[in-house]
Amino acid sequence: MKAAAKGSKPYRAKASKLERKNYKWIYLFLLPTVIIFLMFYFVPIIQVFLTSFTQWDGFTTPKFNGLTNYINMFKTSGFIYALRNLLYWCIVGMFLHVGFGVLTAFVLFQKPRGWKLTRAVFMIPNVISAAAWAMIYRFFFNDEMGILNSIIRLINPNFHVRWFYQSPWAFWAVTITWLFYAVIVTLLVLGDLMNIPAELNEAAKIDGATGWQLIRHIQLPLCRGSIGTSVIATLTARISMYEQISLTTQGGPGDDTMSLSILLVKGVTDYRYGYANAVGVLMFVIGLIILGVVNKAFRMNDSDY
Amino acid sequence: MKAKRILASLLASLMVVAAAGCSNNTASTSSAAGDAASTAGTESAAGEESAAGETSGEELVVTIPSYKTGENVGAVFFVPQVERFNEKYDGQYQINLETVPENDFKDRLKQLGQQNQLPVLVQGGDVEWLKNIVFPNGMAYDLAPWLEEHPEIKDVLIPDGVDYCTTEDGAIYSMPLATVRASGMFYNSAMWEPGDISQMSVDEFITALGDQKIAFSTAENGWVASLFYTALIANEEGGADLLNAGLDEKITDFNQEPFINAAATLQNLLQNYASANSIGAAYPDAANAFMSSQAAVIANGPWMSTDFSEANAENWSNGFDGANVRASLFFGDIGIASTRSYGEWWVNANASEEEIQLALAFLEFINTPEEIEAYLLAEGGDAPMLDYSEDFTSQLGETQVLADLSADTTEETVFVPNVLDVMMSSVSSTEFGKLLPSLADGTYTPETFCQWLTDKSAEAAMA
Repeated sequence: MKAAAKGSKPYRAKASKLERKNYKWIYLFLLPTVIIFLMFYFVPIIQVFLTSFTQWDGFTTPKFNGLTNYINMFKTSGFIYALRNLLYWCIVGMFLHVGFGVLTAFVLFQKPRGWKLTRAVFMIPNVISAAAWAMIYRFFFNDEMGILNSIIRLINPNFHVRWFYQSPWAFWAVTITWLFYAVIVTLLVLGDLMNIPAELNEAAKIDGATGWQLIRHIQLPLCRGSIGTSVIATLTARISMYEQISLTTQGGPGDDTMSLSILLVKGVTDYRYGYANAVGVLMFVIGLIILGVVNKAFRMNDSDY
Repeated sequence: MKAKRILASLLASLMVVAAAGCSNNTASTSSAAGDAASTAGTESAAGEESAAGETSGEELVVTIPSYKTGENVGAVFFVPQVERFNEKYDGQYQINLETVPENDFKDRLKQLGQQNQLPVLVQGGDVEWLKNIVFPNGMAYDLAPWLEEHPEIKDVLIPDGVDYCTTEDGAIYSMPLATVRASGMFYNSAMWEPGDISQMSVDEFITALGDQKIAFSTAENGWVASLFYTALIANEEGGADLLNAGLDEKITDFNQEPFINAAATLQNLLQNYASANSIGAAYPDAANAFMSSQAAVIANGPWMSTDFSEANAENWSNGFDGANVRASLFFGDIGIASTRSYGEWWVNANASEEEIQLALAFLEFINTPEEIEAYLLAEGGDAPMLDYSEDFTSQLGETQVLADLSADTTEETVFVPNVLDVMMSSVSSTEFGKLLPSLADGTYTPETFCQWLTDKSAEAAMA
């Protein structure tokens, strides 16, 4: 009633004396985290923003050069390819990578025989670094001795494709190095599935819901938060993806597998820190946009129950 | 209640102190350049870590990052050399080594430089970084006065190198080289008896190859392929001059005949004479192809000689025997090396006086005639300003490939720098290797290949 009396302004209960007393302790305990954030994240981010408008070799004093770095970024031949690839990887990541993870979670939720073992095995790739996977895939896709081509040659003895070095295969070869490692998605969604109150499922079943209807109308909507989180994690990982490309194709053939992170590192290699930071700013902005859009699309701030 | 408050205050203070402590620790261990935890993939090769400039009793201990440790081929000579130094200065100086993978080494130095955490002795670094950042910004110690005080050292340094390392105002920031090591070719004489390769033309070399294969590496920076490409460019009219000029100003225009013609020949070699695993092969893959008799030829520097000694026989397979390996400079009497370059070491000007004295003692030590001769015996090369001892001359003949390279090096030999050293940094580290598979499979013509190098060089040179 009080809230209504104050019109549209939301009602906030006045903190009690004890609560007010506790605030200072809360702030005190938060202080180290805030300091660490400011020192190691906020200040560098501001530095990246500021120096992206300068000509800077990383050592001497940066010289303001306006939007030159951003203009040069668009002039770089690989830039459009990097944006295009990011878009494709985001689409593939959102639908195939997250989709595969969600599907696995739903299968595991049915607790088929050996589901715990499967869950543990599914986790293994995640403890191997991206760099190591890249090296493994270099052998996997090797034309002469790779497993893939050896199997294909059992059917077609004359088959020869250098997956990482030929268009258009290189894009897909790089994509496969991460596509099916969706254990984080699976764990997040499985966690949500297990948290659905049993009564909800039972009530739906009593109402005559079939298995598919149960998934579509009850379980999937209740996993909205975890799926949204998975999409954010997947898409931001695509923005920062580096090792998988650098250790396999280096952005080639041509610029077929170019990414913003490769452009950034090339900028650093050539002592063009201002340019590299401009690429960094773009990555940051794209990340924020993705965060905002996914938050909105998945109504991440709304309660599930 | 009061006890609770005190406990809470203590905990909060502890967290703040711990946070501050963590950040301090990061800085100090970086300066130590010896903390494996702070740097992915590093480990202390010399055993215990110690902070740079740490004084243990009377002994000054420094830790320096180096790629010539562990499994690196350069470790075979360098690690024992550091041990000899430590032994000589036992109780006074000690150098520990921090292992940094060779691929990451130059970047690691740049990182340390940015953090003002470089060790007192610095092992090289990217040429552009040295030329444009380190030396002009007073980060390196001027060795010129010290060299004037030590004529016995200055006299063994290659004059061309001293000249290159001397700035307009007479300072010498990089320790000039006393030795030059030309890269050439190694071949398995049990598979192939080519005759005198260095006196052949390119066409004669290709004809002589017949059905034999070359072990190429085309991944990473395409090292082995880059050596062949360099030799092919140097065999073109005006090519050697172009490469040598690139030492003073990086090459950004590859749309020139020597580069295009050489790319065409390289394409022929990659398509018709490369070992089966060449496309996508990193250097170890190429070395493996050679040392498993899948290829009769590989190009590399004389430091590879250690791979052919009995001590490394465990790496051989398929009937390969290191005793059968012979070496030659490239066709057209081309040796890939440059005396007009910075040396391997420079001294951090921001180090303490004691540390600088240690660094100078090390530079003096490695440039004694005994150490230079030991180095040449281990890794090959030539010290043109040194009068060799009789022992050295007789011992050199014991390592066949080094004796071969030494015999090939004459006054007529044309020395050129590796083409990777005269390209823009990102072009040599990424673009060249990236393009090789496309050149090999015919996706790119030699003209497209050179156009691509030109375009990427222009992008790398943008302000």
